Amino acid sequence: MSRPLATTGDRTRRAATTVTVLRGLLLVAVAAAVLTVPGWADDYWTRILTGVCMWAGLALAWNVIGGYAGYISFGHAAFFGIGAYATALLMQPDRHWNFYLTLPVGAAAAGALAVVVGWPTLKLRGAYFAIATWALAEAIAQLANVAGFTNGSSGLTIPAFASSTYFYYAMLIAALATFAITYVLLERSRFGYQVKAVRDDEATARSLGIDTTRIKIQAFALSAVIPAVLGGINAYWITFINPRSVFGADITDQMVVMALVGGLGHAWGPALGAAVLYVLNRQFLAAFGDTTSYIAMVGLLVALVVLFLPDGLVSLWPRTRRLRLVRQLIPGTRAQGKR
Amino acid sequence: MSLFFQTLVNGLLVGGLYVTISIGFSLAFGVLDVVDFAVGEWVMLGAFAGVASTSWIHVDPFAALPLVFVVFAGVGALLAPLIYRVRTSQYARPALMALAFTFGLATLARGTMLTAVGFDPRTVHTSFANGTLSLIGLEIPWLRLVGFIFAVVATGVFVGFLYFTRTGLAVRATAQNKEYAGLMGVDVKRISTLVYALYAGLTGMAGVLIGAIYAVTAQVGPQYALLAFFVVVLAGLGSVPGVLVAGLILGVLQAFVTVYVGASYTLGVVFAVLFLTLLVSPRGILRRGVTA
Repeated sequence: MSRPLATTGDRTRRAATTVTVLRGLLLVAVAAAVLTVPGWADDYWTRILTGVCMWAGLALAWNVIGGYAGYISFGHAAFFGIGAYATALLMQPDRHWNFYLTLPVGAAAAGALAVVVGWPTLKLRGAYFAIATWALAEAIAQLANVAGFTNGSSGLTIPAFASSTYFYYAMLIAALATFAITYVLLERSRFGYQVKAVRDDEATARSLGIDTTRIKIQAFALSAVIPAVLGGINAYWITFINPRSVFGADITDQMVVMALVGGLGHAWGPALGAAVLYVLNRQFLAAFGDTTSYIAMVGLLVALVVLFLPDGLVSLWPRTRRLRLVRQLIPGTRAQGKR
Repeated sequence: MSLFFQTLVNGLLVGGLYVTISIGFSLAFGVLDVVDFAVGEWVMLGAFAGVASTSWIHVDPFAALPLVFVVFAGVGALLAPLIYRVRTSQYARPALMALAFTFGLATLARGTMLTAVGFDPRTVHTSFANGTLSLIGLEIPWLRLVGFIFAVVATGVFVGFLYFTRTGLAVRATAQNKEYAGLMGVDVKRISTLVYALYAGLTGMAGVLIGAIYAVTAQVGPQYALLAFFVVVLAGLGSVPGVLVAGLILGVLQAFVTVYVGASYTLGVVFAVLFLTLLVSPRGILRRGVTA
């Protein structure tokens, strides 16, 4: 009590200002670095960072249904692949569509499929949804392998447009747009509150007048449309796709794992998870020549994260929101906390 | 007509093994309330255990079945408390986290085996059941017949345990309602461990037989997990009688689609049936499952 209160206040305020300024400078530096990647990075790293942007977008999209709505989808590769095939098919020399016009087509197809599949399965408990989406992805992959118009397992080639710089910015814009859309819709709007209410207590949400099935279908459709767009850009980027490369179960696995490791239901956690895991993946590929050991490592990582760090990497960050909302809204946990 | 009956018999014989895989899986779901994504990996690991028993300890894989059961049950008993811990944690969305946990275990098993043995297919070689049995115009491979008989015996013993022993009663009570079972003096955690261990052992043994009938690779797990999922959804999650019917239906369905339509369409047809089941009767064909 001997210390005058005003001084403490001043000191705190001054410290807070310094932190704010430092944080602002850091943000500007990071933004500048991200925006000028093709300028300072070589082609190899530009490609890796393009991949990071793509996976960040995919993990953020998966997070909408998996993290915010609380329904694990094991079939997101289907939407990614549909987007890729829509772009590839429409850009074939005989059709010759403009690249940008193909993206909405893939997105619409993926969204429609999500509604059709989500309608019966999202009324049931999460296990049914997980199983049904997985079966859907496998079935679509198999169909793409045998259907005539997809050229079967030999895949499709797209007229090449080789510019690492272009694709880096395309993926960066897509990832930033994904973040902006999911952030606004899920953290700053009525829809976001409804989705989280459904996740945290469905019965209560329904009693408050929320049409829970409709909200879940909307969340699923949103989470399906984004991977389709990214899949389209990816197809144009790698210029050759086949069912294995765009419908593979490993694509879904990556999305799930990145979101989980980064932080389920967190605004930017999944993007962090995507960055860490994608760079790791490439390093494993460079070091061992294959990624089978990476698969094992990812499995172990998921198990450990679930056991010891359920909020993901973001919860290591000092004073983040962690998943405070999630924890407080679960009745059992709140009672536990107050005791 | 003989092709029709041949296909029917083939389907039923394979369906028996699907029942064996799915019955433990279904019960593990009922008791632990977790969809175990590692079910296919238990099959894969079982098949590789069969391969290993020939090459490492020089015992015929079919004679090593009891050993496989003991080893897999042991591993299952070690993993079960972890799954139970995740499932009952005070954390947000424990069901979702438990699903993710078994997914992690499955991925770990697949990645480890891929690193260890690569992508080459392996077959379990046995000297017990070779050649075919000709019966009223049908050609039945002895191997499949033995597999089916094993499935019937194993499933019979398992169902007998469930319905005619005191512990089995406790298991069924736990599957119905964990809280009330606990109040009646059932140690839910111990029952969960027991069920998971039995399920792992049973599925591992089925894996040896599947490895003898079909060749397996280290990445075959998800395929069998999908089949097991299909069976339990058709049966209604948590319903044991439904599994007996649904497993055979899947075997027959798969055999007919393969013969009359084409092997590449099986998953498409399987998904269509799954989707229709969820649409028309989410609680399974016998309407015994749980949906919410």
